[in-house]
Amino acid sequence: MPINDDKPSIVISVRNFNAYYSDKKALKEINLDFYKNKITAIIGPSGCGKSTLLRSINRMNDEIAGFRTEGEILYNGKNVNDKKLDLTLYRKNVGMVFQKPTPFPMSIYDNVSFGPRIHGIKNKSKIEDIVESSLKKAALWEEVKDELHKSALSLSGGQQQRLCIARALAVDPEVILLDEPTSALDPIATQKIEILLEELSQNYSIIIVTHNLSQAVRISDYMAYMFQGDLIEYDSTSKIIRSPKNELTEQYLTGRIG
Amino acid sequence: MKRDIAISIIFRVISYAAFLVVIAIFLTFILEGFMYFSPEFFTQFPQMGMTKGGIFPAIVGSVSVLMISLAVAIPLGVFTGVFLSEYAGKGFFSKIVDTSITALSGVPSIVYGLFGLSIFCITLGFRTSILSGSLTLAIMTLPVISSSVREALQAVPRELRESAYALGAKKSEVVFKVVLVAAKERIITAVLIGGGRVIGETAPILLTGAIFYSTMMPKGILDPVMTLPSHIYYITMAYGQSAQWMAKGASAFLMIFILIIYSTAFYIRRKISNAHK
Repeated sequence: MPINDDKPSIVISVRNFNAYYSDKKALKEINLDFYKNKITAIIGPSGCGKSTLLRSINRMNDEIAGFRTEGEILYNGKNVNDKKLDLTLYRKNVGMVFQKPTPFPMSIYDNVSFGPRIHGIKNKSKIEDIVESSLKKAALWEEVKDELHKSALSLSGGQQQRLCIARALAVDPEVILLDEPTSALDPIATQKIEILLEELSQNYSIIIVTHNLSQAVRISDYMAYMFQGDLIEYDSTSKIIRSPKNELTEQYLTGRIG
Repeated sequence: MKRDIAISIIFRVISYAAFLVVIAIFLTFILEGFMYFSPEFFTQFPQMGMTKGGIFPAIVGSVSVLMISLAVAIPLGVFTGVFLSEYAGKGFFSKIVDTSITALSGVPSIVYGLFGLSIFCITLGFRTSILSGSLTLAIMTLPVISSSVREALQAVPRELRESAYALGAKKSEVVFKVVLVAAKERIITAVLIGGGRVIGETAPILLTGAIFYSTMMPKGILDPVMTLPSHIYYITMAYGQSAQWMAKGASAFLMIFILIIYSTAFYIRRKISNAHK
């Protein structure tokens, strides 16, 4: 579905993409482009395939028995399902944050430096710089700068989620995928994350799956509405909100599908 | 509702009864033997036909057997557990290994003793020695440790692994830098419980490593040793009334030792379950 706006550049395109869990078709002929340095929200009722689509982008479903795909997902023009793709390097470019905060059971510092270290950065002062700048970008630095060596598990849920964002930023990605990142958080922590995502979208391309329609409206530039494995409508958020073209989208927006 | 209350009372009574039996066993042994504790009891050799002196060589023997067998069983058990949980997959081979390990934990300890006797003492020529005894006990605890390690690793939430993969980590990095670290406390608990079993086990050590009585310390791991459980066994079986105090004292010491190991294990386990709340 092409969009006739001022055409930002494309970072990820999904082409004729189908996904199956064994015999069950979870995604049907999906075609859409994700734009650089924009926030795109994927919305839709439970089981519509929005998480499957998100997880297909960084191939998180590879490990799931019976999962297979058809069609292409292109990252800067390269097929991410290509067998020759360096998955490690690719995932460095496409970070992910999950529904529940998932801090590793180690210190705040070790959490953020985990990524840079596995990607071969050994210089200690360089790692320190990365940890500081990542925590600053994730708006967590002021709260934790004096206790970087405390266990990450001692942080509150909202802080843990911002730590996970900092950890993802530390490997310097271009795209950040977020799978319902605020559904386990209280409203105040949620608001902090939303403000953060809007700031981050100046430098990162953000794709967020959310169950929370008003959140999608608040923060996203583009919105993809999915229903039962189909992409029903994709357009700039303001257009979709003002005048949804599809009956199903309208029903979802007005609360008749939920 | 009435039935629910009745059932809950019955279950409560049964579990309290089980708890009381355990307490009674520990208390009986500790109270009966505690009075014989003295500095000499822990530092001297048995003397005068076990009527005087202490259990020093048996303590040294038990501790060295415990250390060596754990030194063998921990790396093997952890690697087997890691393999089963992370690498073996769900195929035929992994099922066979899994079933064998479960079966091994049900094998009576005397059978391990006979196995150790035949393989280590005779075939490999280690004779009755610390080494034979330790290896036999290591093999006996291996299934306990490896299956607990496997369970500990599988209890690590999927999201934690995925977070590491999403950062670009390779499988080995996910397993060794994240999953194992996350399961650390549970693994330590498993090892402690395995160690508690090693130190109290009698039959295998009687056949492979223990000596009835010795007037000097072993010079190396190819010498036999006295151990606490075998010492208790010999005194009870072969000595008269005048020596029984020593078995009681040794039993009390062994019980306290095991109590400390298990309390540590349960303390760590509680810490984990609190951390998850």
